[in-house]
Amino acid sequence: MPPKDDSLSRRNFLEWLLKGSLVGSALLGLGMLRRYFSFQNESSPPSQYDLGLATDYPFGSHKAAPPAQAIIQHDSQGYRAISLVCPHLGCVVNVTRDGFACPCHGSRFLPDGSVLNGPASHPLTVLQVERNAEGHLILNSG
Amino acid sequence: MRRQLLFVSLLLFVASGFVFWRQARNLKQIGITPSLTGQMEYCLTCHANLAEISQSHPVETFGCVLCHGGEPLALTAHLAHSSMRGSANPSDFAVVEASCGGEMCHSGTPQVNRDHIQRVTTSLQATYAGGIAQVRYAFGAQPDLTAHMGVYAIDGLSAFNAAVESSPSLQFFGRNCLYCHLTGQPLDGAAYNRWSGCSACHSPAPREDGTLVHQLTTSIPYTQCNACHNRGNYSLSDMQFHPREDAPTDRLHDYYQPIAEFTRCEWTLDCVDCHTRQEAMGDGHIYNNKKEIQYVRCRTCHGTLDSLPLTYTITDENDLALRLAFLNPVVDLKVGNTILMTEKGELLWNIQVVPGDGSGTPTYELFSKATDQRFTFKPVMGSSCKQQTDQQEAHYCHECHATQR
Repeated sequence: MPPKDDSLSRRNFLEWLLKGSLVGSALLGLGMLRRYFSFQNESSPPSQYDLGLATDYPFGSHKAAPPAQAIIQHDSQGYRAISLVCPHLGCVVNVTRDGFACPCHGSRFLPDGSVLNGPASHPLTVLQVERNAEGHLILNSG
Repeated sequence: MRRQLLFVSLLLFVASGFVFWRQARNLKQIGITPSLTGQMEYCLTCHANLAEISQSHPVETFGCVLCHGGEPLALTAHLAHSSMRGSANPSDFAVVEASCGGEMCHSGTPQVNRDHIQRVTTSLQATYAGGIAQVRYAFGAQPDLTAHMGVYAIDGLSAFNAAVESSPSLQFFGRNCLYCHLTGQPLDGAAYNRWSGCSACHSPAPREDGTLVHQLTTSIPYTQCNACHNRGNYSLSDMQFHPREDAPTDRLHDYYQPIAEFTRCEWTLDCVDCHTRQEAMGDGHIYNNKKEIQYVRCRTCHGTLDSLPLTYTITDENDLALRLAFLNPVVDLKVGNTILMTEKGELLWNIQVVPGDGSGTPTYELFSKATDQRFTFKPVMGSSCKQQTDQQEAHYCHECHATQR
């Protein structure tokens, strides 16, 4: 009786190669599909910000809210937020001893946001701040 | 049939592997949504380490595409750069309106002298209208010295075309002598290296190793001006450019041609310390020659024996002087400060009258726009100067004040 030939026949090898390449292609395709469907667009900035407890903003305070790019003021008129986005071209203004100053083109604003000098021709935007039931300040930037 | 199926499956496997490999090696994209455009762009994926071009053009506000053009969402250099304006120089005059223009930016504004693109594109440095008029007049192609032509047509100037000139000299002139205007490409050599358009003055030239400097500035050193000026002479006899042959090693000798005379302030200061914005960039009108637009003279700062230089006291927070000082903060100007002013009313915001008690002759202080140095000087009035009021050209001052070289 002739010994059994355990070596892979050419036919079997080609069969395995065919199946292997098909399975490999399918796996790679699935990987790419997974990557495609898991892509996340950059999220747009929120239109509302929770500024935390209102008690963190005592009367007379001027406190920065960096995520909202605003200064929260608490005075006799209540809470309000002044946007730090320059109405000229959209740079973020710096808080100075005398108010606000735009580092890009030199516009300056008084502490209440009104224009001291251009090129900006409009005041800094005053944003709405509300106190919710939990005692948090909510800033609406939209 | 089976063999073909195997071939196709192998091909599919290799193609899938290649696509997967390309995807996997993609850089992690860095997106930014500039506040002015509100449109996502991925330029920073490759250009995150680029220096901010200027304080007035932060990338968070302007992004890249607003000025440079290009494909904001592309992630390959070839595609991203395919629609860029002016290659690496969006200020080239061929594309400057699309890149730098707009009412909020550098053109179309109704504010006086704020239409920078209109001013500079009609200036003598851009049109070369004065030089063309002088040479055409010298060779009999026009009856007077009035500027009729520029290197391009604009505001009543027609385009100079050497090919239709009958004089061979003018044909040579067109071929050999029109490199220095702002739309021209510079001659070969490090000494002539500069950009075209606005960046010819406002951006450092590419370095000798070919790397670029991402910068816009109003602090312009004299070396920037020297890429065109003081490099040699154009000869009318052979209509060729003859580079200067000396190799100056110090500023005193680098500043002017060897035969020229000049006073101390002409070589210790930088060009922009005296020559005003309107002289250099034009005022929007067509002039016939350099002398008509370049009007700052010795007496602009030093006055005459009978009169002090003109002054201007800043009274308004919106004053142009404060704005210019903000853009190049070499001096801390404030409302109430008194500065010098030219006869045309241009503010020399970098020259202050030093506050005194009002008695005696005043002292002036110049803050160099390019070097931050301070220079104090006194007026001619009250000095032993023999100046004649009607003799204001520099050569009269050179008779006594020329620096020996």
